[in-house]
Amino acid sequence: MLAAYMFVSVLLFAIGATGAMIRRNFLIVLMSLELMINGAGMSLIVMSYYIGNVSGQVMFLFVAAVAASETAVGLAIVAMMYKNKKSVDINDFTTLRK
Amino acid sequence: MSVEIVVFAILAILAVGGGFGIIVTKNPFRAAMWMVLSFIGSAGIFVMLDAVFIAMLQLIVYAGAITVMIVIAMYTMDKLTLSSLKRFNNQAYFGALFGLGILLDFIVIAAKLKINTAYMGKNLSIAGSNVKAIGDVLFKSYLLPFEITAIVLLIALFGAVALTKKDL
Repeated sequence: MLAAYMFVSVLLFAIGATGAMIRRNFLIVLMSLELMINGAGMSLIVMSYYIGNVSGQVMFLFVAAVAASETAVGLAIVAMMYKNKKSVDINDFTTLRK
Repeated sequence: MSVEIVVFAILAILAVGGGFGIIVTKNPFRAAMWMVLSFIGSAGIFVMLDAVFIAMLQLIVYAGAITVMIVIAMYTMDKLTLSSLKRFNNQAYFGALFGLGILLDFIVIAAKLKINTAYMGKNLSIAGSNVKAIGDVLFKSYLLPFEITAIVLLIALFGAVALTKKDL
């Protein structure tokens, strides 16, 4: 069963990474990042169960806090970009390239 | 044992299918709903792994707060701006290939994983309470990281406010 649980966690991480790389909509990129963080957290929980140590669950608390703050800052960036460019397409966000 | 496998299969399909739904739907509102589905599946898997408190935290923080935050950010935007985008990037095949590489890489690592499972499922609760065990470890061994987490949240709040100010 350990391999099956780890497989789900790895699959969530890989799907999130793929979505963050291939999508154009910035909001969906943010959702994919959430999915990646969730997959990493799931591996912490799985290891916590199979090793028999509750520290992994405590780590998940920190991971969740960091995920929440990351979403807050990411949404602030989206709101600012939308105000300036009227778009949420990441291909329009080329200010640093010019 | 077989009941466990069936329940696990349903929850895993919910989690992974929801994740897959996020990256293929065109409309970001629907993607948010797929994300809730994926998080509910993950919460079920956490319950199977005796992490009851974390499962409830997952439902409240991820499926509740973060999704609502993203959806409310969508409410302030134009409908055409959100849903008339092309779905994938021009170089999407390269990203997909890279994601597949990450998947294979981690699968190899996960398959080679050898851990000592003598304490499997033990030490996760004190007197039948998972919350007591988490609090015991959190406030005895991880007190400094806990305080630093509070500071990180505060800084994120400042950052969000500073980014959305008018004159930046």
